[in-house]
Amino acid sequence: MSAPALAADGKQLAIDIKGLTKTYGTGALAFQALKGIDMEVTQGEFMMLVGPSGSGKTTLLSILGCVLSPTEGEAWLFGEALHGRKESALPRLRLEYIGFIFQGHNLMGALTAEQNIAVPLELRGYGHTAAIKEAREILTAVGLKDKFAKRPDELSGGQRQRVAVARAIAGRPPLILADEPTASLDAESGMQVTQLLKDLCSQRGHTVVCVTHDNRIFHLADRTVYIEDGLIVPAPSH
Amino acid sequence: MTVTGSLAAPIRTRASIFARVRTMAGIGVQMMFHDYLKLAGTLFGVVFAVLLGNFQMGTFLALLGKNRMFVENAQVDIWVTPPGTRQFQGGKPLSDAQLNRARATPGVAWAEPLVLQTANLVLPNGGSEPVSLVGARAPRFAGGPWNLLKGDTTSLLTPNAIIVEDAEREKFGGLNLGSVRELAGHKVQVVGFTWGLLPFAPAYAFAEQTLAREILKVPADKHTFIMVGVEPGVDPTVVRASLQEALTDTRVMTRGEYMKEILTYIVTGTQIGLSFGTSTFMGLLVGLITVALSMFSSVIDNMRQFGTLKAIGSTTFDLALLLFTQAIVYALVGSLIGLGAVSGMVQGMRNPQLTPVLYPEMFGITVALMVVVCLLASLLALFRLYRLEPAMVFR
Repeated sequence: MSAPALAADGKQLAIDIKGLTKTYGTGALAFQALKGIDMEVTQGEFMMLVGPSGSGKTTLLSILGCVLSPTEGEAWLFGEALHGRKESALPRLRLEYIGFIFQGHNLMGALTAEQNIAVPLELRGYGHTAAIKEAREILTAVGLKDKFAKRPDELSGGQRQRVAVARAIAGRPPLILADEPTASLDAESGMQVTQLLKDLCSQRGHTVVCVTHDNRIFHLADRTVYIEDGLIVPAPSH
Repeated sequence: MTVTGSLAAPIRTRASIFARVRTMAGIGVQMMFHDYLKLAGTLFGVVFAVLLGNFQMGTFLALLGKNRMFVENAQVDIWVTPPGTRQFQGGKPLSDAQLNRARATPGVAWAEPLVLQTANLVLPNGGSEPVSLVGARAPRFAGGPWNLLKGDTTSLLTPNAIIVEDAEREKFGGLNLGSVRELAGHKVQVVGFTWGLLPFAPAYAFAEQTLAREILKVPADKHTFIMVGVEPGVDPTVVRASLQEALTDTRVMTRGEYMKEILTYIVTGTQIGLSFGTSTFMGLLVGLITVALSMFSSVIDNMRQFGTLKAIGSTTFDLALLLFTQAIVYALVGSLIGLGAVSGMVQGMRNPQLTPVLYPEMFGITVALMVVVCLLASLLALFRLYRLEPAMVFR
């Protein structure tokens, strides 16, 4: 591991990608999802990754989330190289650096809201009592003070996604990866959840990469990056 | 890691193995009890396996007990039997000469003959029922009656006295103490009752040996078995070897060897072992398959949640802890219910004819076996989780 590289403005980089490619399959069936991407995200930045279906944004998010290995190129996360890593080393990277927010909230149905948040904390070495304490603090911060002991099926869609946000930021992982966090929410709930994510991450210093189709929330980003056909492209003029 | 801002002191190190066991076990148990239907279905499989396995094993032990009860209960150290003997059944009669040689063998404290043969008891309605008449010699009465409900062994000293099995009283025409019947042409009087002395052969009845010989028409110098007691402190296996050397035309076995021989005969020489072994195995197999399919189906149903656990940093080992906890809980709860049920059934059907036997050791063995079965069953689900790509959470 080396110190993170610096962006042109002198800020430390959270993500530094150079010539990243990803090819699925081999031979005639090979499909290149990423075709040599260069991208930098500075620490504390709230970045949105936008593009049509099949453009490669989920593949890119998966590589940044250390759940998929790139075919070629280099990817650095806070100075740690992701390329050339053994698969067995990836869970530790995910645990140390990344909080995830999924399209469907992906909460564990058998666990209460506070337990869902406590799980990643306990995996990170928090004692059970400390994990529950922190879970309750975060749930309070996302406006679910009276929902500690509720299971996901007892919460509304917006409340579930708030729990998912709380789970992602619990333990203060430096990078939050959000995959279409508003996809299953109505417009108002979607806006509220994204605003909440933006505010909390801004206060706490998380770097956020958010994949979305939802143009109603684009304005909340510090920067929007467009991806199309496996390449970073300039913002559309319309 | 170099992170600026308010995240400078963020995440701790990976949790210790004990903490991970605690976390994963907690999730596993909550997942089990969240899905009541699946829990009930899986427990049904375990309970069925425990119930069937123990019932079959208990019945087998009861049948084995019927065959071995005489050898097990007679206070005899060594049995001299006809050559080729493999179960408790007479063969070529033994002679007085052999009895005397046994008595003269070093280490032998006493040697007594035993007479055993079937005789017909005439019923008041004119019919007849067979009994296995045992002639035990006074005053030692080695091989005499045990489990006495009424009367005592010395009452066999009264003329024409016999002791019969209580469970057969109705079958023998409503026997009571003092009832008189005709046994193979001899008038006999009932002076006592035993409980549960029902071998595969007709029920045991006991008489003093002189009377038994008269009834069975067995000469005084011919014996079905010779029973031997060894001197205190002497190893019966050493005496057995000496006896076998002296009594070449016989088969000599210690009590333990004789019981083991009967077990071996039943398991290998009859279809009983195969039949009960197969049904016990089938019970375990049904349990294994039910638990395996149920756990696998649970993993498939919750694939996204398991994928999420992997994505947020759980390893396959962590998920194995989760599944193994579930397997152990299924085994423990299922065994508890199953053993309770089979104990209740056995208690409810308790009778002298055939009551499955449940030894305390079987409870521990059952739990251990079911834990192994359930852990094996969880491997199918674990294999699926091993192959689960955490990237699926983004699809």
